[in-house]
Amino acid sequence: MRKVTSYLVTFLLANIITIAAIAQNVTINGNVKNSSTNEGSGAVSVIVKGEDIGTFTDDKGNFRITVKKLPVTLLISSVGYELQEVTVSDASKTVEVSFKPTNILGQEVVVAANRVPQKIMESPVTIERISAANIRNSPVASYYDVVTTIKGVDVTTSSLTFKTPTTRGFNSSGNTRFNQLVDGMDNQAPGLNFSVGAIIGLSELDVDNIELLSGASSALYGAGGMNGTLLMTSKNPFKYQGLSFLIKEGLMHTGSTSQREPSAYHNWNMRWGKKVSEKFAFKINAELLQAKDWQGRDYRNYQRAATGGSVKAGTRATDPNYDGINVYGDETTAEIRSAVLNSIAVQAPWLRNFIDTLNGGAPINVSRTGYTEKEVTNPNTVNFKLAGSLHYKVTPHTEAILAAYWGTGSTVYTGSERYSLKDFKMGQYKLEVNNRYWSLRAYTTQENAGESYNTTVATRLFNESWAPSGGATGWFSRYSQTYLGGRLNGLTNDAAHSLARSTVDVGRPAAGSAQFIKAYDSIRKKPIKDGGALLLDKSDLYSAEGTYNWSHLTGKWVDLLLGASYKQYVLNSEGTLFADSTGRIKISEYGAYLQASRQIMDRVNITVSGRYDKNENFKGRITPRATALVKLKENVNFRVSYQTAYRFPSNQQQFINLAVGSNVRLIGGDKSFRSFFNFGGNPIYDYDALRQGNIVAFTPQDLKPESLSSFEAGLKGLLMQGKLLIDVYGYYGTYKDFLGRKVTVQKIGGGTIALSDTLNGYRYSIPVNSTDKVKTYGFGLGIDYRLPLNFTIGANVASDILKDVPSNFVAYFNAPKYKANASFGNSGFGPGKRLGFNVAYRYQGAFLYQGDFATGNLPVVQTLDAQISLKLPKANKSIIKLGAQNLLNQYYYNAIGNSQIGGLYYLSFGYNIY
Amino acid sequence: MNMKYITNRIKIHFLLIVSAMVVLTSCNKDLEQFPVAPVVQGTTPTIATLLDGADLTIFKAAVTRAGLMPTLAAPTLRHTLFAPTDAAMTASGLSLAVVNAIPLTSLVPLVQYHIVPQTITTSSIPSTFPNFSYPTIFNPAPPLSALLRLNTFPSTRNGNWVNNIPMTATNITAVNGVMHKLALVTAPPSRYVWDRINTDADLTLFKAVIQRGDQGSTPATNLQGIMGNIGANLTVFAPSNLAIKQLIFVLSGGLVPIASPDAVFIGFINSSLPAASAKGIAFYHVMGVRAFSNNFPTTATSYNTLLNSAIPTHPGVRLVCTFTGPGVSAASVKGAANATASNIAINPTPDPGGTSDQHFLNSTLHKIDQVLLPQ
Repeated sequence: MRKVTSYLVTFLLANIITIAAIAQNVTINGNVKNSSTNEGSGAVSVIVKGEDIGTFTDDKGNFRITVKKLPVTLLISSVGYELQEVTVSDASKTVEVSFKPTNILGQEVVVAANRVPQKIMESPVTIERISAANIRNSPVASYYDVVTTIKGVDVTTSSLTFKTPTTRGFNSSGNTRFNQLVDGMDNQAPGLNFSVGAIIGLSELDVDNIELLSGASSALYGAGGMNGTLLMTSKNPFKYQGLSFLIKEGLMHTGSTSQREPSAYHNWNMRWGKKVSEKFAFKINAELLQAKDWQGRDYRNYQRAATGGSVKAGTRATDPNYDGINVYGDETTAEIRSAVLNSIAVQAPWLRNFIDTLNGGAPINVSRTGYTEKEVTNPNTVNFKLAGSLHYKVTPHTEAILAAYWGTGSTVYTGSERYSLKDFKMGQYKLEVNNRYWSLRAYTTQENAGESYNTTVATRLFNESWAPSGGATGWFSRYSQTYLGGRLNGLTNDAAHSLARSTVDVGRPAAGSAQFIKAYDSIRKKPIKDGGALLLDKSDLYSAEGTYNWSHLTGKWVDLLLGASYKQYVLNSEGTLFADSTGRIKISEYGAYLQASRQIMDRVNITVSGRYDKNENFKGRITPRATALVKLKENVNFRVSYQTAYRFPSNQQQFINLAVGSNVRLIGGDKSFRSFFNFGGNPIYDYDALRQGNIVAFTPQDLKPESLSSFEAGLKGLLMQGKLLIDVYGYYGTYKDFLGRKVTVQKIGGGTIALSDTLNGYRYSIPVNSTDKVKTYGFGLGIDYRLPLNFTIGANVASDILKDVPSNFVAYFNAPKYKANASFGNSGFGPGKRLGFNVAYRYQGAFLYQGDFATGNLPVVQTLDAQISLKLPKANKSIIKLGAQNLLNQYYYNAIGNSQIGGLYYLSFGYNIY
Repeated sequence: MNMKYITNRIKIHFLLIVSAMVVLTSCNKDLEQFPVAPVVQGTTPTIATLLDGADLTIFKAAVTRAGLMPTLAAPTLRHTLFAPTDAAMTASGLSLAVVNAIPLTSLVPLVQYHIVPQTITTSSIPSTFPNFSYPTIFNPAPPLSALLRLNTFPSTRNGNWVNNIPMTATNITAVNGVMHKLALVTAPPSRYVWDRINTDADLTLFKAVIQRGDQGSTPATNLQGIMGNIGANLTVFAPSNLAIKQLIFVLSGGLVPIASPDAVFIGFINSSLPAASAKGIAFYHVMGVRAFSNNFPTTATSYNTLLNSAIPTHPGVRLVCTFTGPGVSAASVKGAANATASNIAINPTPDPGGTSDQHFLNSTLHKIDQVLLPQ
């Protein structure tokens, strides 16, 4: 092994030294200007034709390149501009280039589809790309929201800054089937198991592009990419230089249906990229966002069940057991006849029959009085991101990068409950070396949940703090006695409940009062293990990976790409989230992949990939992929692929140990739980079956990775002289060993299980693999058309359908049958082509949303976003933009219990935006 | 096609597209709500207004004088009123003049005992043996407990009854409850069953048997204690002195003549009747439910007694009653070892004058003419 390593190092050094040996001695200075605005064009590629030399213009459009001799021909190119060739024979004069914007589609280059650069038109799988220009022209306030305009994308919005996209179904807040990579790093929080999206990651000014691979993508990117992979790439300071800033000031919560008083939205961005020399560059980014968050205000009554709850009729006034979706603390419930009244009947037998007939003999379930999300959640959402990187070119083709990304914020996330992520912090730090043939990357993700807490648990505990539920003088006992007294005095059932609640809630701290804040804070700041609600998650991820592209050696026969990766998760929640009270839990994964592609018959390109991954807790897994691209004619390509994907059970599915609001304990699938909770000595039973009166023993099985096999075919065509771009796809996928959860029940103290144990017993939610195969299929169609005068119009529609779902199987598919986007805009028109606008419409069909927190029907959602912009003359690419996200302020929600989103109106000023 | 034409066309398309987007978007639905059925509820009649009936004038006067009319008029409360008709009031000795004359301390409990704090239609009253127990709004001892209530015992066995009083009209609905008319007044009890046994000159030997059986046990657990406990709910078949004398005559082999003074029999009980036997006999004369004679089956049927708490498999006693017209004309209880049934002396005159359906705070009592023999 040591010998192999030695050879490898020698080989890599040879690459570096050989390339570094190139001599240079004539320097050309030049400037590239936009022919329309006469402003310098930054980040324009300047390459010496026929040679391996190139550079980029700075933010003023200036460039400087050194060549061996004159004359040379420079190729000036950038997406959105016509390629220009300029012959330089005299280096003493500044080369002036008038760069002409063009309006032709399909010019973009993507990397994600095959991990090597290729034209988007020639991608063998469905891929979408968002450029910095797309973000600049978009009406939405956050670049991350631009993803929602891509065809086939579903988004679950937990709050203003917490959004979770996916494709082809199975979305949720904190989706674990959709990978998100930032500059090659998985930005999933290692402990909380959700990708943090835009909370930690790139600031808007630093986004170079976003690529979205729809559907299965594990063959190239490893475990987790069941439903897609989102790759966000930042701007390289060698290419994007100068100081930029972007200030957005906005207004939220307007109109008669608003959740609170109108409030401001602040979003400030800064980026400074500097190429110090041809060898060294650096950048610094910062972004601050502050606003009053959207809130969950679904106060409908909820029938909480261990699996698959539902919205039901009733309010706090009409249902004594009311459990509002976004009302917390009311999850604490008791059946007062059995808990209290029957004891009274023993002491006062003359009331026996009376008690028996109360409520028609039916159970008398009563819940504690809760507090709304608005009352227990700090509305202030803050997100601060700070990132920087140092770039050093060891040779012209070997760049070393030392980068740090750090972010902190407060937001709201929906898991099995609503969580307030308060002062959440996450940092990613990486060292990367990229050569044109190979790359090495090592990074770590350091997570700190800060003062994050479970709002449900915190509020329930808060209720216990001011009035304990149990005991002879507890809340339920006093409630029951008052209720009974009311009934004995002739009160109606509702009136007696009302009297009882108002009587026992005397002294209930008012939300926002000093007493409330003091008590609530003491609970939310106390770790779960100590009887509080605080999550102490400080889990980390360590990762190393490398790739080598052998194509320069094997290209005559086949293009060959080889890669390997290693990951280690270190779970550390001090017993507040995982079963790690006795020490940290380490989980290692490693994998390797190989990809080979070959052009055959001039019109067909075949690519075959395979990846092997091994998690120390699971058997190894091979995921193959095969793609074919058939060139039907110039810029019209047909693609077909077979892809596989899988995911290991998440860290939480393996090791979580968390009591949640519906009196259920979420536990992991690791074997250690079985002995810890004595499943061998005191067996567990199927909860749902027991509720139906059937006693069905449940034996936990070892978990297996979930997998997906997917066939896809598509066509991408550029027609009408490059003005019309059409992309259409269809897919069919089969999920196997689908990972879900099963609720079980165990009798306290052992013995024969009984129906009453569904209420009184221990309930465990255990991850299981479904034995059934679940199938999905769907299609997408997107059309973009360039009208005259730089006007553009686009529309897309997509459909995702789930089939063969077994009865009683909760799939959490969470995708509408149809969704569509349409947009109309112009990035430059009017005098000096300085005006711009964009109007975007989004439609999402109705569907049944299934979530651990709440399940219910989502109505159709339609939103309209719009912006108008003005590029200021002679102000170095300064733009003023007036934008509106959800222009018509039509509140909507895309998951039951999640925040309801209204209109956001903003005015932004950007300097040096490109 | 010139540029101006194109520009105009684009403007038109722009307006059309944006207009279409606005129209399409302006209809996001709010949270899907469950429809709430409108509650249509009138304000009359209330139970209070039902008392305006021509045959209820005396009871209405009683309710009014007792200050309970607002309770029966309140639309937010729910009650069931068992209303004795004028004929019933009169038959019970409660003429209008009497109602207006008796002290409120007697009148208020009397009226309260006819009011149950929930809506009970006859369809919700079971017909199972013996009856159903509903608390009235009468609390005989508020200082003891705010939840203390004196119960009434409706039944739909053999007709519609409250205790041993038949309903003459049922289910007269009001917006705040229901009213049933009664053939007689149901007087609230004021004594424990032990008080009757302890003071009735015809039950001295039964009292002696009970006390003989209780020897060695604490008042909290012995039968005398139970019979004096407000929490008990019993039916006592009380053998007359003659009945016990007849038994002792047999048990003594004729050595204790029936004509002997009561003291002789008491002496026999305390000296010659084993305490365990006395206890067994006493417990065998008590059921753990409260049964009025009209609750008995019309076909002899076995029911448990307190003896079954010690001997679960014991067949208990067999009860039967006979109706003549609306009322019980005959009723009997038969012990397992008795050759014939013991007859209940039918006389439902309220305690202390009667011998059947004697109603107490914690029991009913029926005098019988033969000791029940468990074995």
